[in-house]
Amino acid sequence: MRKDVVLLVGGAQGSGLETTMQVLAPAYASLGYGVLANREYFSNIVGRHSYIHIRVSSSGEARPLYYPADFLGAMDAETVFTHWDDIGEGAFLLYDLGTARMRLQQIASMEPDLRSRLMQQYREAGIEPFTVEKVVEYLEREKRVRVIGLSFTALFDVLIKKHGLSRAQAQRFRSSILIGAIAGLTSLDREALDLGLQRRFGSRPKVLEINRDFIASVADEVEKEYGAQLKLEPAEPKSGEYVVASGNDVVAMGKVVGGVRYQAYYPITPASDESVLLEEFEGLKIDGESLGSIAILQTEDEIAAVSSVIGAALTGARASTATSGPGFSLMVEALGWAGKNDVPMVITYYQRGGPSTGLPTRGSQSDLLFSLFASHGEFPRIILSSGDHLEAFYDAIEAYNLAERFQMPVIHLLDKFLANMVASVPFPDWKAIKIDRGKTLFKAPTGPFKRFPRDQPLADRPVLGSGAITWYTGDENDEYGHIDEDPVNRLVMYERRWKKMEIADREIPEDFRVKYYGDEDAEVLLVGWGSVKIPALEAIERLREMGVNAAYLHLRMLSPLPKRRVSEVLSRFDADRVIAVEANYLGQASKIVTMETGFMFRKYILKWTGRPVYLHELVEGVLDIVRNGRDKVVLSYGK
Amino acid sequence: MASYRTEVWSDWCPGCGDFGILAAMQKAFAELNLDPAQTVVVSGIGCSSKTPHFINVNGVHTIHGRGIAFATGIKLANPQLKVIVNGGDGDLLGIGVAHFVALGRRNLDVTVLIHNNKVYGLTKGQASPTLRRGEKVKSLPVPNLQDAVNPIALAIASGYTFVARAYSLWVDHLKEILKAAINHKGSAVIDVLQPCVTYNDIYTAEFYKDRLYKLEDDPSWDPIVRDPSEDEEKKAAAIKKAEEWGTRIPVGVFYVNPLKDTYEERLAQRNPSYSIDNPPALQPISREDGSPIVGPDEFRKIFKRFIVNVKKL
Ligand SMILES: Cc1ncc(C[n+]2csc(CCOP(=O)(O)OP(=O)(O)O)c2C)c(N)n1
Ligand code: SF4
Repeated sequence: MRKDVVLLVGGAQGSGLETTMQVLAPAYASLGYGVLANREYFSNIVGRHSYIHIRVSSSGEARPLYYPADFLGAMDAETVFTHWDDIGEGAFLLYDLGTARMRLQQIASMEPDLRSRLMQQYREAGIEPFTVEKVVEYLEREKRVRVIGLSFTALFDVLIKKHGLSRAQAQRFRSSILIGAIAGLTSLDREALDLGLQRRFGSRPKVLEINRDFIASVADEVEKEYGAQLKLEPAEPKSGEYVVASGNDVVAMGKVVGGVRYQAYYPITPASDESVLLEEFEGLKIDGESLGSIAILQTEDEIAAVSSVIGAALTGARASTATSGPGFSLMVEALGWAGKNDVPMVITYYQRGGPSTGLPTRGSQSDLLFSLFASHGEFPRIILSSGDHLEAFYDAIEAYNLAERFQMPVIHLLDKFLANMVASVPFPDWKAIKIDRGKTLFKAPTGPFKRFPRDQPLADRPVLGSGAITWYTGDENDEYGHIDEDPVNRLVMYERRWKKMEIADREIPEDFRVKYYGDEDAEVLLVGWGSVKIPALEAIERLREMGVNAAYLHLRMLSPLPKRRVSEVLSRFDADRVIAVEANYLGQASKIVTMETGFMFRKYILKWTGRPVYLHELVEGVLDIVRNGRDKVVLSYGK
Repeated sequence: MASYRTEVWSDWCPGCGDFGILAAMQKAFAELNLDPAQTVVVSGIGCSSKTPHFINVNGVHTIHGRGIAFATGIKLANPQLKVIVNGGDGDLLGIGVAHFVALGRRNLDVTVLIHNNKVYGLTKGQASPTLRRGEKVKSLPVPNLQDAVNPIALAIASGYTFVARAYSLWVDHLKEILKAAINHKGSAVIDVLQPCVTYNDIYTAEFYKDRLYKLEDDPSWDPIVRDPSEDEEKKAAAIKKAEEWGTRIPVGVFYVNPLKDTYEERLAQRNPSYSIDNPPALQPISREDGSPIVGPDEFRKIFKRFIVNVKKL
């Protein structure tokens, strides 16, 4: 029995991979296992290679992904060709016998770069001709991979006969073959599996029934033939109930709890799923009763989205938008207006691979400096970045609180990795959740109101319609919000805005903004932010087992950076033992730390391939720096 | 009656047509007895967009071209507010044209005033989107090579349900149209011909003096859609009328369709929790003790399809 199992399932985009994840993740979670699943895909709707990488952990926690995988389920030949070296000694490979004769050269959807790289590797390994069969033989022979060759056609024939389906209809059950095999190999409890199926197909009883039947037959056969070789130890659940959801989903849920009343967006990957989900819940209905309503607007562009969000925020509604790099680029001018006018507005920013449209469906952490410096002039803003799903949930709520309390825009940074990863998230702790509306006034004295009193950085904020009359302008303003270019007024108003930042820095607890994980007397310190937290936390455990006592410093608030605390931690480490770990080229967070604390980083582990930082490569990277004295390790694992 | 004037000095050039628009707004607001606290004037950037500072109601002076977009959020989050947008023709039909079109598509209950001076005033007289091809106003070194957009035709094509033209120096006429526009339920736009005395030496008060005539003086002109079946015909007639630009230039109401539902109504129809009486902006989001109204039980119910109970083994 195993503590963890790592599964890889691949196929053409649109061929049912998502289903595999949607069925398996709740199924394992219902048994108390921790699940983390990442989805990798091209910017394409149907046809390009896509895959899901899942780790199921008996620890009960959603734990980081690593390679090699224990199981590769291939829906098509391209998956076998592509992922042949992603599985380890003795792993299982399931493939369609019908693809055995396919040649690498025939895979039109494969990018030429990968194809030629694979040819080179196959040649070196003595795999010729480049057929699925030869690759499979090689794996069996050289890596003792256990091969489950199934004739998909024969399986579909049975389906066709039994349920009177057409061939095209039967082929839609392709993902069931993979689900069945995984269920068999891991001896997945059938009731749990059924729960997963109910969730996915509950609304379509006929489809549910066929799936159930088909999956059970594949599972039984695989279990009988190969044994439950990937069976997991019983789980140690970390929660009596899990929320099984993607990063997009948990942020939408956090917004609902946080009281979102207005969200505007323009479609962009990987952000729009969040708004689409919110739209589904716009009525906030429970048993027919409504708790309120969320106005959600799909706008003509991102400029309109953010501008309308600012307008909504002025009326007192908790208002936000969700976007990615290209969209945020368009929002920048309005961001400055919000910063200038003390507007509590939230931008949820899912970073993806740039520059330009770069890698539209892949992840990165390369927009931190952009979000910190975006827009002209100088004005305060809060930048919050979540490290995992649970943090993302709490941060979605806290973003509104901080925005209203400190009267400035909040940028909530996430990345595509988190956005698209599905995790079993422990049920949140409601005791930790508070709504803080700061000095927002819904009823105010009538007549012209000094919205911007010179001696009060955080002033009362009567909303539009509260009774007060207020003015706002993008120009420098007087206490009422009217244009005022007087140099002394300018001096005072400019400073007034920045004083809010000082107050925020003083009042937001440091232990919320930065967190240290590991032994106090660790000798190596990893410094990271965002979803780097996921691999980093387990990396320090593994490193300790290998004799390297490492700790992790997680930066959750990048503006205002808790510089006193960060400096204090950094000062305890030899500079050669401090490693910035980031999914970008420049080490952007390290630059901010240097700017704020003066600490000069010397060691970097960086990745910018658009794929997540995997646990195994992070551990290797740290060892390379610690043992071999390397200054910079560039990670590149993943297809 | 509330005073709709502020103490702020209007820094427009002496003689600027914007003064007439401001006066018409102040008079219309007074005659409609608008509650200053429940009224919001939103603008973009330009000479014309300084208007909110001179009116004693809430004023939101935003960024170039985005007044409508800001107004959209204000109105949707709190549909109880009266929202009026001011902008130049450069602001609304150049940089902001996507929002101008989008507002029509939505028919949100917002009124838009275009200060149409056919130039970019505040940046010193460059050609705006309503200046016709071949025209060379004072500060252009060479004649304009781009065709003009017709605001009336564009508004009708975009879906506005109240479309009018007025002249900024005919303050009372503009005031009456503005009152009708504000009372109209749906997106309303008034293209206000506004002489820029500093940069536009073609479209001067002199130019307009003998050319303008009022549509309402033509007894056969009826811009109102009284039955959905008339809509197409009335739109076509209005667009045709809007093309009239020469020795005679019509001002007045071109097209009104009171039958089309507004965006707020469409939203309420799809989502009955959305109502004008209980606007999103004013709904409670927390309980007395600061805990969110969506507590763990509400959360479990709303998001039940994401929640997995761990089986007791
Ligand atoms: C994004 C952006 N681009 C350019 C400008 C410069 N700008 C200020 S006012 C203006 C033109 C205003 O012309 P119009 O909208 O016709 O209004 P008017 O001044 O004529 O009333 C421009 C282009 C700006 N403020 N913002
Ligand atoms: S430049 Fe033209 S539009 Fe601007 S204030 Fe002067 S006259 Fe009016």
